[in-house]
Amino acid sequence: MTSAFYDLTVSHFLILAAALFMIGVAGVLLRRNAIIVMMSIELMLNAANITILAFSRGFAGEHRAAFQGQTFALIVIAIAAAEAAVGLAIVVTVFRSRRHSDIDRLTLLKN
Amino acid sequence: MNQVVVRWLWVSIAAALVVFFVAAPGLALAAEHSAQAEVSAHTFKNSKAVAFLFWFLAAGTLGGSIFVITRRNMVTAVMGMVATFFAIAGLFLMLYASFLAVMQVLVYAGAIMVLFVFVIMILNRPEDEPWAIHGLLGKGMAAIGLLYLFKRLASILWQVKDTHGLVVEKAQLAADVVLNHADPGVAAGTKELITRSYQFGSVEGVGYTLFSNYLFPFEAVSIVLLVAVVGAIAIARPLHKEAEMADQEAP
Repeated sequence: MTSAFYDLTVSHFLILAAALFMIGVAGVLLRRNAIIVMMSIELMLNAANITILAFSRGFAGEHRAAFQGQTFALIVIAIAAAEAAVGLAIVVTVFRSRRHSDIDRLTLLKN
Repeated sequence: MNQVVVRWLWVSIAAALVVFFVAAPGLALAAEHSAQAEVSAHTFKNSKAVAFLFWFLAAGTLGGSIFVITRRNMVTAVMGMVATFFAIAGLFLMLYASFLAVMQVLVYAGAIMVLFVFVIMILNRPEDEPWAIHGLLGKGMAAIGLLYLFKRLASILWQVKDTHGLVVEKAQLAADVVLNHADPGVAAGTKELITRSYQFGSVEGVGYTLFSNYLFPFEAVSIVLLVAVVGAIAIARPLHKEAEMADQEAP
């Protein structure tokens, strides 16, 4: 009999990552500020990273190529950096032409 | 969006979080019982202190991220984000990903958050009451604090020794003892495995995998970064004279 509070498993990290991802989704859906929305996207990418590393750690004893997960997480971090750079450039451009960054009011492509 | 709908969304999010904290141990236990055979490989065999550290870091991660999506002031939100990233770096350390924990702090808490702060500072109006302490007293105190911090840091860094070779040597010794009377071919492979397991998560191990099996994704990522840099410059550059004029008119 093991205590779920003291004996950590991969599931602990997976559930934590799921909760973090859920908070990120809530931020994307509820907030109207474009910068906060981008920060919520970063939160979701981090949740994915925690999942990848938890599986990498959990199966390290069984498979020899356990560095795959860490390599993937590194690539995810690099892609997140590129995404932040381009996204923030778009936010700056939108703000420059419209004087606000409220995504509910950016309806130029609607209809 | 309707105010009532928004309020109920918040209530449901809070309820989901409470359910997470109450149900997570139960869920983990259920998963353990349902897959008894597989779980033996997934349990971490940690001490109680490590478990407390995990719950502390989990609370930091979730609290910081909730802080991010609820703040009205964007600079405050960024500070919550930095706290979240530090907690996530701690979680990475618990998962034996030491190199990635360092990368998390450097790239996320360092570079990406600085980018966010820059953009927020460009878009927002200047603050009325800046945080700087006026006068010589505050600056003197800050200088003394910084010097003390540097002294402590330097004294710790001065004691750092190269222990990696020692660790690997010990691992090889242990492998020798264990595999003393095993088949020589099998023993060599297992010995290498045990020695390599000591490098799990290190710069050496990740770098070896990255530059041998994953060389193509690595180069692809470098091209993606180059395209992102060029694209960011191309997008953020003012296209017309009107935009430049508007920039100069803006307070």
